Amino acid sequence: MRIGDAKTSYAADEALLQNSDQKLGLVVLLLVLALYPFVAGPYWVYLACLVAINVASATGLNILTGFTGLVSLGQAAFMGVGAYTVAWMQIHLGTPVAVNLIAGGLTAGVVGIAVGIPSLRVKGLYLAIATIAASVILHFVFQNWTSVTGGTTGLSMPAASVFGIELDRPEELYWLIVPVACLMVLGAANLFRTRIGRAFIAIRDRDISAEVLGIPLLRYKLISFGLSSFYAGVAGGLWAYFFRVVTPESFPLVMSIFFLAAIIVGGMGSILGGILGAVFMTLVPEVLKMAVGWLAPILPDAVAVLSPVRTIVFGALIVGFLIFEPQGLAEIWRRLRRFFHLWPFRT
Amino acid sequence: MTSVNRRTALSLAAALAAFVATGPARAADDIVLGGSIPLTGVFAFAGEGIHAGIQDWVKITNEAGGIDGRMLKYVPEDTAYKVDASVAAFNKIVAEYQPNLYYGDSTGFSKTINDQLEKYGKAIMAGASFASEINNPEKYPLQFIAGPDYTEMVSILLEYIADEKPGAKVAFVNSDTEFGRDPLETSIARSKELGLEVVESIITQPGSVDVSTEVLKLRRARPDYTIFHGYVLAPIPEFIQQARQMGMDTKFMGTFWTMDNSMVMKMGDAADGFMGVMPYRYYYDEADDAPMLKKIREMRPEYQSTAYMQGFLTAMLMTEAVKRTLADGDELTGTNLKASLNSLKDFDTGGIIGVPISIPGNSIPVGRIYQANAEKQKMEPVSDWIRLDQSGN
Repeated sequence: MRIGDAKTSYAADEALLQNSDQKLGLVVLLLVLALYPFVAGPYWVYLACLVAINVASATGLNILTGFTGLVSLGQAAFMGVGAYTVAWMQIHLGTPVAVNLIAGGLTAGVVGIAVGIPSLRVKGLYLAIATIAASVILHFVFQNWTSVTGGTTGLSMPAASVFGIELDRPEELYWLIVPVACLMVLGAANLFRTRIGRAFIAIRDRDISAEVLGIPLLRYKLISFGLSSFYAGVAGGLWAYFFRVVTPESFPLVMSIFFLAAIIVGGMGSILGGILGAVFMTLVPEVLKMAVGWLAPILPDAVAVLSPVRTIVFGALIVGFLIFEPQGLAEIWRRLRRFFHLWPFRT
Repeated sequence: MTSVNRRTALSLAAALAAFVATGPARAADDIVLGGSIPLTGVFAFAGEGIHAGIQDWVKITNEAGGIDGRMLKYVPEDTAYKVDASVAAFNKIVAEYQPNLYYGDSTGFSKTINDQLEKYGKAIMAGASFASEINNPEKYPLQFIAGPDYTEMVSILLEYIADEKPGAKVAFVNSDTEFGRDPLETSIARSKELGLEVVESIITQPGSVDVSTEVLKLRRARPDYTIFHGYVLAPIPEFIQQARQMGMDTKFMGTFWTMDNSMVMKMGDAADGFMGVMPYRYYYDEADDAPMLKKIREMRPEYQSTAYMQGFLTAMLMTEAVKRTLADGDELTGTNLKASLNSLKDFDTGGIIGVPISIPGNSIPVGRIYQANAEKQKMEPVSDWIRLDQSGN
């Protein structure tokens, strides 16, 4: 039984993985992720890819909203910028996947910085409205810049190709999407061990105090917007490779709400929270669908009868989590871990 | 007490495990019709009808002994009208059931899944989308549309107008969506070919309420006919009411998704005289040559929507493709099924469509003009069936 971690240096205190259990856990997780496509069916691999894309984007939003305290409802539109950039480059330039994804991220990052400019003046709900306005503008651009975006019909792109191997099925795309998402999560986790990450947290906790401490607010708020949008852009690029059709209707406002809900349900200001929230929001509707499917032999036409009920249950689950665990799924996970730390003794 | 609880819990768990382990039930020779069906979400009003229509056709087929003795199995999944959920449903159904036929719920899904459908190669697909883009057998070789595409729908309206009032002035009002803009350019070009004058083309947000500036534009243009496309209901009633208040006598028209009887009657006073194109007969049509409608009324005494007819006919055409493929002794592959579907010539739909149909490509370019009679609360035919495939188009 391990009851605590003795740290003898600041470096150990800052370490990403603080003890051997965590290191072992990470190795097991990576092994599971590596073996997953070999044991799971195509449907589950498809869902894993979708979860990974959503984790990447939710992590980006968590940097902005969870860690810097800037509410944004523009995440889907930034994903759209990344998706269109990747699709356009893949169709017209045929550049390598990595270049396209980075370009998608950078383009979205630049747009994000521009959208973030009002964040020095406005906060909270006002900023949320400003980001909605930005996403409406971006939506208009997607729809009307026909020569680049293909207008309302959008862009249909060829499959991604890495070292001459075409990645056009979820089983193949898994090897692109999941590693990229893992890298992005790792990057975000490391970010908060740096000055920049700590500046974000300081701004979230009290922006005036942060400024007094010598943190230039505009610069760091814009960096936060840029990073968050970069994440959204790369996630959008992965989305484009995954679905291969990008239209203005692919990234609606409700998708931004989805990501905001994911980080709230998962736990704002926690990397694990962003991951758990995205997993929850993506998989729970599918699990509920399966539950409805299991009832099919008992209840005739269960799919039609129970589908509306399923939607209500999903909504109720979200509300339930918010009421009973306002700190999100990440806190539930921490509690579970604490329980097993001291098991079989009671805490 | 505790032990009883534990025993109960254990037996429940065992029952659940056994239940889950049972997995999907599909007999080896079943013909599977999978479906990404929007039973919830913004398109649920249509999804419910489509679901019921497919179910009824499957029931009729199986009660009549199936297809060559093989039962038709319908496997639907709710998608909430989201492309990612539709693709998930497709992957799930393909993994578990290897379907021969598939129903998709949106244009976005039809476009997204096309490559995967071709790679899978064992099924043909149709769905709720009438997008003109899908009416391209080269690009979408395993898909079809169980009716005219949106361009053809508007063309049918324009043929009617050109016939009723040669040289008439026409205005188009389209929603600012992929769905709304779909037939716009082709419709303007077709109007000119038919000698009609396009006096205005308005793009609005779907569901927008304040349309007064658009109605003013319409009044200035004074069209004889105004064609809406890309809406289900709003803002059509607002348009009509404001136009009538301004004393305009333009005739308002719509396309398939606006034309369900209950939907049109929801317009209230504005419904009277509203016209549009419909590729299928309405539920209550008691024409002598429509035995299938009689059968539907026997199965479901209450009104069934035009989405129901669409689902029903789609399943019927898919079944016919399977029947023909099996009769030819061919394997049930997507290519063979599509070839069989394309071999349909003057096929009798039991009166769902009022004329025999052929599907040489990806669509059935047939439709009829109906007009709302607010007093009877019914859409009534005002033209004969218009076949674009026989009018040199």
